[in-house]
Amino acid sequence: MTDPGALQSYWPTLVRYVLVAIGVGLIMFVVYRVQIAFGVKREAATGRALVMPWVIGFLIFNVFAIGASLYLSFTEYNLFKAPEWVGTQNYQELFSLHLASLDSRGQRSSDVLPRRYEEIIRVEVGDGGLVLGAKEDGFWRAMRLNLPYALLNVPLGLLGALGVALLLNQKVRGLSFWRVLFYLPAVLPAVAMALLWRWMFSQTGIINTLFAPLYQVMNIETPRWFTDPSYAMTAFIIIGLWGVFGANSVILLAGLKGIPQELYEAAAIDGAGAWAKFRHVTIPMLSPSLFYNLVTSTIAALQIFEVAAFIPTSEAVGTFLNWQIYQEAFNFRNMGMASAMAWVMLLIILALTALIFRSSSAWVFYQGAREEAA
Amino acid sequence: MATTTAPTTDRVFVETTPAERTGTLHRIIVYALLVLCAALVLIPFLWMLSTSLKTQDQLFTREINFIPNPIVPENYIRVWERLNSIKPGMTFTRIIGNTLFITVLAMFGEIFSASLVAYGFARFRWRGRNLVFAIMLATIMIPGIVTRVPGFLIWKELGLLDTYDPLTWPSLFAWGPLYVFLMRQFFLSIPRDIEEAAIMDGANVAQVYWYIMLPLIRPILLAIAVLSFQGNWNNFQGPLLYLSTPEKFPLALAMRFFDQSLSKEAPQWHYMMALATMMAAPVLLLYFLAQKQFIEGINIGAVKG
Repeated sequence: MTDPGALQSYWPTLVRYVLVAIGVGLIMFVVYRVQIAFGVKREAATGRALVMPWVIGFLIFNVFAIGASLYLSFTEYNLFKAPEWVGTQNYQELFSLHLASLDSRGQRSSDVLPRRYEEIIRVEVGDGGLVLGAKEDGFWRAMRLNLPYALLNVPLGLLGALGVALLLNQKVRGLSFWRVLFYLPAVLPAVAMALLWRWMFSQTGIINTLFAPLYQVMNIETPRWFTDPSYAMTAFIIIGLWGVFGANSVILLAGLKGIPQELYEAAAIDGAGAWAKFRHVTIPMLSPSLFYNLVTSTIAALQIFEVAAFIPTSEAVGTFLNWQIYQEAFNFRNMGMASAMAWVMLLIILALTALIFRSSSAWVFYQGAREEAA
Repeated sequence: MATTTAPTTDRVFVETTPAERTGTLHRIIVYALLVLCAALVLIPFLWMLSTSLKTQDQLFTREINFIPNPIVPENYIRVWERLNSIKPGMTFTRIIGNTLFITVLAMFGEIFSASLVAYGFARFRWRGRNLVFAIMLATIMIPGIVTRVPGFLIWKELGLLDTYDPLTWPSLFAWGPLYVFLMRQFFLSIPRDIEEAAIMDGANVAQVYWYIMLPLIRPILLAIAVLSFQGNWNNFQGPLLYLSTPEKFPLALAMRFFDQSLSKEAPQWHYMMALATMMAAPVLLLYFLAQKQFIEGINIGAVKG
């Protein structure tokens, strides 16, 4: 590095890095000594001292930060003035939803919605219809995009991954070659991939060029993938699937390889066909891996960031939750409202994971647990 | 599962049985599907490479050409010249240096702290251990966005915005619970006799950790180093939040900068794909060199999870 500017920005961080490392070591030492002084056994004292790095980080970056976020969600704060307590105002604004009915087809939504409410969902039935409006329209448009996205992307990704894992489990030649290839998309930088997909889905991009004859036959206009609401979901699902299903299949394959061959032999003796084996041996034995994949891909699908940051969409399409909240906080500087939105998102994620965990007792099979029960 | 029949000794005639014929058909279908999946994975990737070697007028053509004519590797140099024409400080060495600086410090902190914490969870009995471990795993579910605003405010108070601090030394606090989990699983698989013998001989915890445990857990250290390098090299959210001076940007932000300043009106896809390829190249290289570690790292958690 001959660039003097670079060194100027590197060395202060480097110094603080070393100081913090020493500080963490000291805290570990003190925690150990204090416990010994209070008569704690050496083993327990050492164990607690060793996990101190995580505990400190947890207290500052999780406990304190989450508490601060909850507090901020009840305030109005724009970084320039001190946070101002506004009670539940942010949440009230956020949940200002209004359902109105349309008198006729084609009636403007703004005619039936109160002031400051924007259309989120519009359904036309027969002569009339319904319109759902919200004050915080950006957030609800993000919900409108992100929740169905997760609902479609997670099961599709899991099914695709299971399919590929089953293929790879067919005693194929060059298994490690295929495995390396299929895991590839998960290794590539999400930033680079988001840009690549924007390019491929662009108006004159490879995908539209490839399907141009098809558009002609079907007599449709060349799609504007990210601005037309009827295409955006498809494009995002394709991007999402490309990124994960190969990686998930490698994880599921490890689960498949772990199934003891005897179980299949025993099933065969009992006269089980291919489907019965799949249904009664493969699926139960694989359920812990499927469960792990389901949890991680649900959380990931709700936290899409890079794709949203690099692919501009139209207002009609909306953007993803994570990016919407990021903009609320750091572009519009509404720290209070952004915190409230983040909390709603946290609760959604917790509710979904709780749901998956609750359902797991019905379909996830843990060998150890069953053996203990027997 | 296995539809191919095992060769039986009593069959003398070399003749295909119906089972064998479906076996061949079955294999053809399996390989055809695998090749199809491989194509789906590779085509976008090859398109990135191909675009990065094209001239601007080759970008928008009616037909699809994977092989550029002419091939212009100069794009990889010109993209930096373009960047330097508006920001002279954003040189290739500087941006790569920034990315490496962040990546290496964060990676080192992550591995070191995670191994200590995992050691504490795996090898010592203390009251509250299981509860603390469960809490640690639960933090994986907290979406980053919840702590992002307060996190930003903490660094603002410390006066460390637009420095590399938020991206580097917090790694010393084992910020990746997943890595702690993976290492703990590995520690649990190591027999206790070796370290007990060392303790009998009067070695202290630090000595046991450094001289006995670290060499034993080398495979998982490598696996996590690889995953962590990839994660930090690719990191975008952290730098986006904390860095604002273009000269301090890592590659991910340089790409965004190029996109928003030089490629806004008429997208310069050949340059952007050159940047994307440059960003992907080290990770890919590492991936191909250390594929065993990669696959191992992701699988330990999944199977035992």
